[in-house]
Amino acid sequence: MGNATQKLFSSLLGKQEMRIMMVGLDAAGKTTILYKLKLGEIITTIPTIGFNVKTVEYKNISFTVWDVGGQDKNRPLWRHYIQNIQGLIFVVDSNDRERIAEAKEELYRLISEDELREASVLVYANKQDLPNAMTVAAVTDKIGLHSLRNREWYIQATCATTGDGLYEGLDWLVCNQIKKARN
Amino acid sequence: LIVMTNENVLFDGLNEAEGEILKEILRRKEILLQEIQRLKDEIRDVDEDIEQMEETEETRSSNQANQMLAGVKKFNADAKKGMKYLLEHGHIENNPKSVAQFLYRGEHLNKSAIGDYLGERNDFNIEVLKEFVICHEFTNKCLDKSLRQFLWSFRLPGEAQKIDRMMEAFAARYCECNPGVFRTDDTCYVLSFAIIMLNTSLHNPSVKDKPALERFILMNRGINDGADLPNELLSVIYESIKKEPFKIPEDDGSNLSTAFFNPDKEGWLLKQGGRYKTWKRRWFILSDNCLYYFEYTSDKEPKGIIPLENLQIREVTDPRKPNCFEMYLHEDGLMQTIKAAKTDSEGRVVEGKHSTYRMSAATIDDKEDWIRCIRKSISKDPYYDMIAARKRKAEKTENNQL
Repeated sequence: MGNATQKLFSSLLGKQEMRIMMVGLDAAGKTTILYKLKLGEIITTIPTIGFNVKTVEYKNISFTVWDVGGQDKNRPLWRHYIQNIQGLIFVVDSNDRERIAEAKEELYRLISEDELREASVLVYANKQDLPNAMTVAAVTDKIGLHSLRNREWYIQATCATTGDGLYEGLDWLVCNQIKKARN
Repeated sequence: LIVMTNENVLFDGLNEAEGEILKEILRRKEILLQEIQRLKDEIRDVDEDIEQMEETEETRSSNQANQMLAGVKKFNADAKKGMKYLLEHGHIENNPKSVAQFLYRGEHLNKSAIGDYLGERNDFNIEVLKEFVICHEFTNKCLDKSLRQFLWSFRLPGEAQKIDRMMEAFAARYCECNPGVFRTDDTCYVLSFAIIMLNTSLHNPSVKDKPALERFILMNRGINDGADLPNELLSVIYESIKKEPFKIPEDDGSNLSTAFFNPDKEGWLLKQGGRYKTWKRRWFILSDNCLYYFEYTSDKEPKGIIPLENLQIREVTDPRKPNCFEMYLHEDGLMQTIKAAKTDSEGRVVEGKHSTYRMSAATIDDKEDWIRCIRKSISKDPYYDMIAARKRKAEKTENNQL
């Protein structure tokens, strides 16, 4: 009942919710990204022990972003969380050439999950500020985005430490979501 | 008969034999007195030696304690750098076990810094993590209690990969303490991971969608080596987490109180006011090149902080108070306002207004000791003068332009 009322209100106010999961290898910059996404965040005095989660209000959409991942053994757990996930943010360290193949593997493993069939994929080609960073085109190529079939994807150059590109990426997710809702 | 002694005292009325005896007695007395004096001197010398030896011992051990404390502070600010410092100075043996025990004892360590250190992905840190878990005893304790106990000893980082490694290490130890509870270590590890997810979902205000017990049970389907865990077990865990989120003890590593543990010197002084030249009794603590003062010894937050960098100190005579000394900032032949902070009557932190800080000690000895200790703490930062010169130059140019 409460939930239904909430939904009614949300639709009246035109407010939408979007559940996003953020994944990527260690040290790709996920935590920094979460800290940089500041708009409309809920500030708590005592942070809850557990996973980094943040709710961000942006363009009338409330994004709940989870930092998730870990080994395959945990994947059965995530399945129950990702059922309603509309977006997947995949963070790549553009400067880490050694692990880019590993990143590709991880991405492919994730999108093969049945529950993520519907999820749009936003890739943050992060750490673009570093002099040796691969270009967006190179990252696109190395993680095999062009080979993705039947999937909405977008790659955005970002620098998490300055926040550059983060909201542009969210803009794409928003547009895509609206497009999906219309269809 | 008259006997002349070497003290030129005359003794009357003694016969010759008696006179001789007296002379002999006096001579022996003289020898004894000399002997006593020699012994006294010797004792004094030995006393001095002992005192000096104790002093060096004291300074050495207090140096070591200070270094240790400096390392702890570094660790709390940056776990990696702090640990490097502690290992390099030999405060901790350079092996995973010693490091783990140090972190487990956790004296004055910030819980988040411990979590950061244990979460690092390199081999040494992962070994430390394993040893750290071994410091915990989980025998005959249920899983949620054990997890609470484990998560009490550091702040769990929020990154999934780190949580993953930590839960894996925790589960290995839990199963070692409680063989037969779970079919495999992995069962315990996946369940522990699920519990952290549950705690996040139920208690993090950012998560709107709070899972019900059914969802938690559903989520954990088949994790017991393909089979399900008993619903009763999962429901006990669910209720426990719902009722009581995971907690860590109040952090005391990040606040100022550690700075005041083991100070270079502390004691009461009278301090003259900056604007109004009244004298107030304050409890002073000298630590880390800073002088802190408090209204009461039991206060947690200082009333004022005076960084000693580039200050000078001298003895002064004050018409009103005895045993005075003052600290001042002297540049270009001018007295400058000392960079310092204090809490005003309304509790706001404001800049200090002193160009000198004048204090009065209870005794001369105390005054001298304060001067000696403060002098030792005053560190000259070579960059300071350079920056100050540049700043003045920039200001001058600006003024000229105006």
